[in-house]
Amino acid sequence: MRFVLILLLVLSSLARGAEPELLEPDQAFRFMARLKDARTIEVNYQIAPGYYLYRDKFRFTLAPADARAGTPQLPAGKLKRDEFFGEVETYRGHLAIALPFELDADATTAITLTALSQGCADVGVCYVPHEQKARLSLAAAGGAASDASLGQLLGLGQRAPGADDALIARVFESGFWLVVASFFGFGLLLSLTPCVLPMVPILSGVIVGAGHPVTKTKGFLLAAAFVLGMAIAYAVAGVAAGLSGAMLSAVLQNPWVVGAFAAVFVALALAMFGFYDLQLPVALQGRIAAASNRLHGGHYAGVFSMGLLSALIVGPCVAAPLAGALLYISQSRDVVLGGSALFALALGMGVPLLAIGASAGALLPKAGPWMETMKRFFGTLLLGVAIFLVSPFLPVAVQMFLWGALLIVAAIYLRAIDPLPAGAHGFQRFSKGVGVLALLAGLVYLVGAFSGGRDILQPLSGFRITAREGEPSAAPFQRVNSPAELDARIQAAAGRTVMLDFYADWCISCKEMERYTFSDERVQARFRDMVLLQADVTANTAEHAALLRRFRLFGPPGIVFFDREGREIRGLRVIGFQPADRFVAALDQALGFR
Amino acid sequence: MALFAAVAIAATAGGVAYHLGSRGGGSTAAADSGAVVEQVYAARLADLKGRAQALGQWQGQVLVVNFWATWCAPCREEIPGFVRMQERYGPRGLQFVGIAIDQPDKVAEFSREFHINYPLLIGGLETVELMRQAGNRAGVLPYTLVIDRDGKLVSREPGGLKEARLERIVQPLL
Repeated sequence: MRFVLILLLVLSSLARGAEPELLEPDQAFRFMARLKDARTIEVNYQIAPGYYLYRDKFRFTLAPADARAGTPQLPAGKLKRDEFFGEVETYRGHLAIALPFELDADATTAITLTALSQGCADVGVCYVPHEQKARLSLAAAGGAASDASLGQLLGLGQRAPGADDALIARVFESGFWLVVASFFGFGLLLSLTPCVLPMVPILSGVIVGAGHPVTKTKGFLLAAAFVLGMAIAYAVAGVAAGLSGAMLSAVLQNPWVVGAFAAVFVALALAMFGFYDLQLPVALQGRIAAASNRLHGGHYAGVFSMGLLSALIVGPCVAAPLAGALLYISQSRDVVLGGSALFALALGMGVPLLAIGASAGALLPKAGPWMETMKRFFGTLLLGVAIFLVSPFLPVAVQMFLWGALLIVAAIYLRAIDPLPAGAHGFQRFSKGVGVLALLAGLVYLVGAFSGGRDILQPLSGFRITAREGEPSAAPFQRVNSPAELDARIQAAAGRTVMLDFYADWCISCKEMERYTFSDERVQARFRDMVLLQADVTANTAEHAALLRRFRLFGPPGIVFFDREGREIRGLRVIGFQPADRFVAALDQALGFR
Repeated sequence: MALFAAVAIAATAGGVAYHLGSRGGGSTAAADSGAVVEQVYAARLADLKGRAQALGQWQGQVLVVNFWATWCAPCREEIPGFVRMQERYGPRGLQFVGIAIDQPDKVAEFSREFHINYPLLIGGLETVELMRQAGNRAGVLPYTLVIDRDGKLVSREPGGLKEARLERIVQPLL
């Protein structure tokens, strides 16, 4: 029933495309209000690009009658020449107004704010005075999210399938627990993606690396500590980034940070292979042992901090929800809600890890050769994760060499070239089979590395007859480095659809987009009808920051489309990796937009 | 696994569906044009002297109803063109009526300055509602309706109207 309802509403919103370039006032002037403190309301407007509000036209009233609004503190606007009124002040972008108020009755628990605003669009229309309401609960000063925008959620007529950021940002405009629950759901969905895979060997490594037999309960508890650490890292990072507005993903995906993580994995892997015993200095060990005897869990602190650190690794995977969440937090400054939502997201992502924690304890034998095999397996996985992490910074040939080397060494451990004893039992035969496969795959990668293979999934592509020599290996992007340059390029596009791609060397999803999506023939075909711009923000100069700010992005990945008149097509952004199928749909929408 | 996926999707969709539901009854279809014209003719609004004027008094003429405001820059740009057209085509039965969503004193001042030669009325909330029913869901200004002599809604024009375009619409009706 509900599904049918959703379908109907989606259809009805699609059907209202009569004046597509003009936003509904609720979307042109997105309204949010919250209690700043017990006597001040903070009124926020997020004004869409190309729209503006008049400074002298705001009217704020409060209900019930015992609440009285004071004089709103309006920041200085931008002066606009008006031939009839002289100079008028207008606002664009984000606007925050502090509205003091007084209460006669202390018993009042909720007030309703009615805000009247007047604004216009640059395309040459104005809106009749527009009324927006917000209900504010006085009990929850600080974290109160307004429910004014409930109706706005998914109310965007132009909502497009590719607009991850818009969806997430809108989900935020709802009740507190709903947001948290939704984010938990997002986390669960994310856990179904391969993103969480790197976490599995880390966690297993931690649990297996504990050395002594692990019970089900202990495995579960260790996993819980790990997930909790991860969740707290997300919450803290999200809130901090929101407050500072910094490029969080830039920091997290910095080559040095990633390199350090990879080094940790290599160290862990070597320990798994038994090259050395991973041990703390004896004195420290003694103290921790004593502490853990007393506290029942000295070990948990280590696992917890491991969780904290590993949260940073999967950053690129959760780019889309993270970007949306950070976008919202930085705009609303509602750090409580933002932090909680990210915490819930990480908990959702951790659910399968908990299951693995519990089962790892159950699966592991008490001792014996099994344990050694298991350790080697996880060691190999850890090395694989290390290669995966640093691969964005390495040439494809080097990546192939590393994968080849890893596969071959693993094959040797699987006794791929040792003769099978005459009476070998099933498991030995099976493991030799796997070993031979790994050996062959490793050889293919080595050959690929030395023969100029350019695609990690097709290592031998270097041998392909290069008849299509003229084929553009990369899409022909024009570089833009500043807002001024962008405007010039958009103007020069003269009636063609423009795509602006934010890119940085450290951005893993950008590289994935390039390799798997942009190279797709269907995508290439559509690219021919567009002007392709790319902003490489690796250097992160002031101009780059200005570009990102203009589109309210925190950093790459982010793809923005402009219609034939050079206006941004709102709600059609692509944030994070998209496979070719979905991306083609987004391109078609952009091309069909008028 | 399937169950897990189902739970995940349900938790995510829950919030989304709730909000979709909370949007309520969907879009109200614009009333059919006949009903719109009837409402226009039936409207009574104050002129600049405060006297109520029925729009029905212009029934039978080619009527151009222009919703506007003095604070709306794109509205002001099209008005000199309206003044010229009222002068040129007025004798042949064209009648402009401006409905300002504005304060009467501002409108009066503007009228003097731009020598407006057609009736100006002051609209309130009910006018905004009328405009929405006429298909202007977003409530944009300027918004212009063209009604022919037989009371048929010929055109609805959101946004600034170029003189040449309006002439093309109006001339066949005169």
